[in-house]
Amino acid sequence: MGTMRIDGHDIPFQENDNILKAALAANIEIPYFCYHAALGSLGACRLCAVEVASVDPTQSPRVVMSCLEFARDGLNVSVSAAAARQVRQRVIEFLMINHPHDCPVCDEGGECHLQEMTVACGPPYRRYRGRKRTFTNQYLGPLVHHEMNRCITCYRCTRFYQDYALGDDLGSMRLRNEVYFGRFQDGPLTSPFAGNLVEICPTGVFTDAVFRQHFARVWDLETAPSICPHCSVGCNTLPGARDGTLRRMRNRFHPELNRWFICDRGRYGHQYSEHIDRPLTPRVRDEKVSYREALAAAAEQIKAARDKTSGLGSTREDLESNAMLQTLLNKLSGRFATFSDPQIETATVAAVAALQSSGGAPSLAEIEQADAALVVGDLTAHAPMMDLALRQAYRAGAKLAILHSGPSLLARFAATTLTVPPQEISAHLLRLHEQATAAPTAPTAPAPSNKHEKELADIAVYLTAAQRPVLIGVSETMAVPEIAAMVQLATALGSRAKLAYALPGANTYGTILLTPTTSTTAMLEAIESGQIQTLIVIGNDPLGDARLGTRWRAARRHLSTLIVLDCVATATAEAADILLPVAAWAERGGTFVNYEGRAQGFAPVFQRTEPLPNTVEVLADLAHCLELALPDAAAVLSNLFPGYQAPLPGTLGSALSAPPLTMQTGTTIGPASSAHPGHWQVALASWYGDDPLASYAPALMELAPAAAALIHPTAAFKEGIEDKKQVRLRGPAGTVVLPVQLNNDVAAGTIALSRVTLTQLGVGHGDLLELEHIS
Amino acid sequence: MNDKLDRQTLQKHLAQLPLTHPERRAAVVPLMQSLQAERGHLDDRGVEEVAQVTGLSTTEVEELATFYSLIYRHPAGRHVLRVCDSLCCSLQGADRLLQAAEQYSGVSLGKISPDGAFSILPSICLGLCDQAPAALLDGEAVGPLNEAALQVLLRRLQEVD
Amino acid sequence: MEAVLTRHIEANAPLDLEAYRSVGGYRSLDAAFARKPEEIIEIVEAANLRGRGGAGFSCGLKWRLRDADAPRPRYLVCNIDESEPGTFKDRYLLYGGPHQIIEAVIVSAYALQAEKAVIFVRGEYGKGGHGLHRAIKEAEMAGLVGSNICGSGFDLQMEVHISGGRYICGEETAMLNAIEGLRPNPRHKMPRPSVKGLWQHPTTTNNVETLVNVPHILLNGADWFRALGINSGCGPKLFCVSGMVHQPGLFELPCGTPARELIFEHAGGLAEGRTLLGFIPGGASTAFLLPEHLDVPMDFDPVAKAGSRLGTASIIVLDDTTCPVQVTLNLMRFFARESCGFCTPCRDGIPYLAQILATIASGEGRAEDLVLLEELSGIIALQSFCAFAPGAMIPLISSLQCFHDHYESHIDTGCCPFDAVNKSGA
Ligand SMILES: Cc1cc2nc3c(=O)[nH]c(=O)nc-3n(C[C@H](O)[C@H](O)[C@H](O)COP(=O)(O)O)c2cc1C
Ligand code: SF4
Ligand code: FES
Repeated sequence: MGTMRIDGHDIPFQENDNILKAALAANIEIPYFCYHAALGSLGACRLCAVEVASVDPTQSPRVVMSCLEFARDGLNVSVSAAAARQVRQRVIEFLMINHPHDCPVCDEGGECHLQEMTVACGPPYRRYRGRKRTFTNQYLGPLVHHEMNRCITCYRCTRFYQDYALGDDLGSMRLRNEVYFGRFQDGPLTSPFAGNLVEICPTGVFTDAVFRQHFARVWDLETAPSICPHCSVGCNTLPGARDGTLRRMRNRFHPELNRWFICDRGRYGHQYSEHIDRPLTPRVRDEKVSYREALAAAAEQIKAARDKTSGLGSTREDLESNAMLQTLLNKLSGRFATFSDPQIETATVAAVAALQSSGGAPSLAEIEQADAALVVGDLTAHAPMMDLALRQAYRAGAKLAILHSGPSLLARFAATTLTVPPQEISAHLLRLHEQATAAPTAPTAPAPSNKHEKELADIAVYLTAAQRPVLIGVSETMAVPEIAAMVQLATALGSRAKLAYALPGANTYGTILLTPTTSTTAMLEAIESGQIQTLIVIGNDPLGDARLGTRWRAARRHLSTLIVLDCVATATAEAADILLPVAAWAERGGTFVNYEGRAQGFAPVFQRTEPLPNTVEVLADLAHCLELALPDAAAVLSNLFPGYQAPLPGTLGSALSAPPLTMQTGTTIGPASSAHPGHWQVALASWYGDDPLASYAPALMELAPAAAALIHPTAAFKEGIEDKKQVRLRGPAGTVVLPVQLNNDVAAGTIALSRVTLTQLGVGHGDLLELEHIS
Repeated sequence: MNDKLDRQTLQKHLAQLPLTHPERRAAVVPLMQSLQAERGHLDDRGVEEVAQVTGLSTTEVEELATFYSLIYRHPAGRHVLRVCDSLCCSLQGADRLLQAAEQYSGVSLGKISPDGAFSILPSICLGLCDQAPAALLDGEAVGPLNEAALQVLLRRLQEVD
Repeated sequence: MEAVLTRHIEANAPLDLEAYRSVGGYRSLDAAFARKPEEIIEIVEAANLRGRGGAGFSCGLKWRLRDADAPRPRYLVCNIDESEPGTFKDRYLLYGGPHQIIEAVIVSAYALQAEKAVIFVRGEYGKGGHGLHRAIKEAEMAGLVGSNICGSGFDLQMEVHISGGRYICGEETAMLNAIEGLRPNPRHKMPRPSVKGLWQHPTTTNNVETLVNVPHILLNGADWFRALGINSGCGPKLFCVSGMVHQPGLFELPCGTPARELIFEHAGGLAEGRTLLGFIPGGASTAFLLPEHLDVPMDFDPVAKAGSRLGTASIIVLDDTTCPVQVTLNLMRFFARESCGFCTPCRDGIPYLAQILATIASGEGRAEDLVLLEELSGIIALQSFCAFAPGAMIPLISSLQCFHDHYESHIDTGCCPFDAVNKSGA
């Protein structure tokens, strides 16, 4: 938009840029504390002082705060001017009055903004002769450690926590040089994004409590560009390892995805790879064996079973591992599937097909720009950073509509919230479509209860009026008709509307592209009918599946050999005849394809002291034992995807060109829509720390909500159920006794339950359940 | 977190809401003041009640409660004597007065007397510079004070209760 | 001069509505409603009524510069936060005559076409605030506040906010945050409150003393008002005199009355045998004046010319038994205590200064401390976020200049000379 001069250099700037922002964009260093690209200018720290020459040459230049001053054409700025330098030096001196001189033992050492600024501008010695003020720290939960004496009062923490992430349990207390950043009382921070405090704080007030327990100096950490393995968003991360163990996770800037932040699942979920029960030694039946012995045993079984071998891939395994397994099974003429639950499989296929045909899912940066959004399901629990992106849209005035069955953190910010039982979601979507198009489309759709007509009309109004509407569904808790209904709605809204789905795994999109449709049902039936004797499972847990675990466990008895490759101790891994522990993601490289279809490479970060092979290597070694020639992963993938090039770690990633999938419409799978008296519908009450890997991360799990049966107060009252009283739930896999917890965010006639409880009962989201009172 | 407010308390609190303001958070200061008037200080339960009525979080209420000098988050005596220590009163001997108050009562500034009768707090300029050295006793101006007058005052406070 | 603003002030026994009306109260409403709002603004500007809250900005000009087409509702905020050490004039207005304030707010709000008025009262004046609240209810019952006031078609809601207590709340933008239930840190200067103020709506803030002049100007005209002042000053002025004088008190006198007259005639002069060391003319954040300035007229421009500010016209008198280092230390402790904590120079710089001053005052100062004080105070004054810290630096910088010898003797002798004098005297 214009050009200004900074210390003799011409610097371009954009409209509404302040001097600091433009300078930083041009790689000119102006020291600062309280400014942050995501949080904007505040003008509190006063470190970013620069000298600005006056237009009138008779006037002397002024020292101004560069973060508060608009860049203007022809402006002449000096960062190096003595007057500006003096201000910065004094600001550092002031800040160091109370800051402890504990750099040698401070966790932030080596990446402390205050330390850097002090070296860059500060006075070399201390003149203040008084005492330092001291604070008492608070316990903020297992993830974030508090050390208030180090605070320099830049307000970044509360601006991030309250203003940006819309949390309300961290604030600025008191005043003068006693401003205190903390909570009302000790207790865990409740925001799913609290861990970002660790990075947003320019000094060591908020530090990574998990890292602290196994601390290393930053300069001693091994790092490499990585991708978060905990959900389908694919945030860019920078893991840090030392002495053969993974120590911590940081955000890595990606301009279209996570930018400066990651969620707490992403930051703390990595502890799964250091879990005490992590399988590290191969096992054949009950015996610990060497890798060679385990491979030989597996090969022997496969040879014996010959064409009765099949394989189950995984949505949390990378593209390479799934492709190699598929290739191996092709050679063995075996079946290949990737899901343990056919219903989730068909829904995911439908979702990816929809994404492929809808002109591309919006990036997080685009979601932030939405002016209206419809969310179906609990987005926070399935793709936390999509939630954070929507919070930005909300802050900018976007209207959010939430259609859900159980608790959802986003509902607080919704203009309209429709809390309906799982089996009524699709009818509501169809009705919404009718409202938005003012034309009845699906005469067979049962009309939703009248009480939601007005809300649906409201949503229709702001979605159709929006310039940049976004529709986001949580595919794990949706069935095909709902996914189809969202597509229909998106189509009706026209090309400005963007459609996205949060998918159930880091590589779901990539895995689905390799998966033959409805393969899971076919595989289960084949096992049950004895057509399969040996099953190779990589990174999947069919025996622990919520809805179908019982059936898989029964089917398992038909198998003569279960071979499992995994890095966590799942139910399936425990039941394996042959267990081959493999490297976790940070210990190897690979590729994940995120919800947008963006393939992103992650690099190996470190080696364990006793390195484990990765899945691809194990499969190649197995092929070798079977005397089969397997091409390498790169060759397999370029064969599968025309023009495929492995995306380099540290780049922005690339779209995967793949043949379009077809959505299986008219499928009979999916929840029945008729009411069953005496039965309750089940809704999955997940939470942001909950995915198959992160659920092995101890610190994160300390925050998991206690097991309970969540029921809406009205529904509970009608049934004579009281808060905190025990009830017995009866499902296909067993019965569970749980305390009732009244919750306004649960739909009528619905019980919301955790993933663990669903597994114990053998039910999935949308299934039916019996509830018994316990007198 | 304590249980939901009963209807009556809620009504009473809601009556404090300034109707001319578009947002409920504008009621935080008046609510804190009225709870403090009832209880002598703003206790944790009070913070929770204010949060409930205004729809803010307890942390957000605490952000305000801890900023203001006249909101007491810790118990105060039944009577509060705020002695001015700003310039005009200090010129007229406020510092000696504060020392004398501590000595005479044996209660240090900011603490409650053992019988709970009073606390003495230093204060910024009370706008009573024409009566320096001055103090506010439960909101009523007293001044000019001297050590003898202060002793009488403190003795009376203990006897009244 | 006959009292204008304090004529019907009855300390702690204010006139009720009826009594106030019987002495001519609320007559300015008719005078106001008979005029167009713009005309009132012109009259106020012609009267050269300058803000009594400290900065002395022209009230009429401030009103004229607001955006006349601004979206509704618009707010008028009346500032009775009065916490500037040495200042107690607003207390008299509040406790002694709430109806005068209400009348002033009504006609001012009418001139500004503001339909909502908030009167911000410091918490320590809570009793006065409650009295004002009751008076507003009285006025509401009489149809003087509310909708269609006196059939004029003008609507005004008026309410009292009693502060939780902090000096910074008197700063215009911090006050807006306080009213909204936000932390009372000052706001960034842009956008101005006149564009986006209370609840993001156009807002005008005035000190209560400024406003109570308006009805009188309306009734008697701009010329009458200007003629009330002497030596260049305009209108009546409330002067507070305190410190080392015989009869500290509030005096309503012509704006422009010389300091000598105030200190020696009205406030009864100094104690026997004492001489004047100097005085602060306008509250704690104004520069010291010396005996040579006694004849400076207490009006905005002359005091500015003498190197200080009229501020709140609150004179604090120091005599030869007062240690100027102690005085300055007391002020710095005040400002350190009341800093809102938002910006670094103020939050961490002022306590630093106070610490240095404390060492000097106790005789443990070093020669280089004076250089340090000068260097730091200059930076703090220029580089802070709001006007609080610059205000805090004014008395320090001026004290270092006016009383340099005293600082040096503290450092040279290693003790406070006044301690010795006072002790031997006692
Ligand atoms: C730190 C600080 C404290 C202030 N305190 C008061 C105050 O107590 N009363 C007041 O009227 N103005 C106070 N002011 C000035 C106000 O910001 C504002 O300028 C004034 O109320 C405008 O009124 P006026 O134009 O009628 O003087 C203060 C300013 C600052 C910077
Ligand atoms: S100068 Fe800074 S810290 Fe001081 S009161 Fe103003 S904003 Fe607050
Ligand atoms: S970055 Fe400009 S004041 Fe902090």
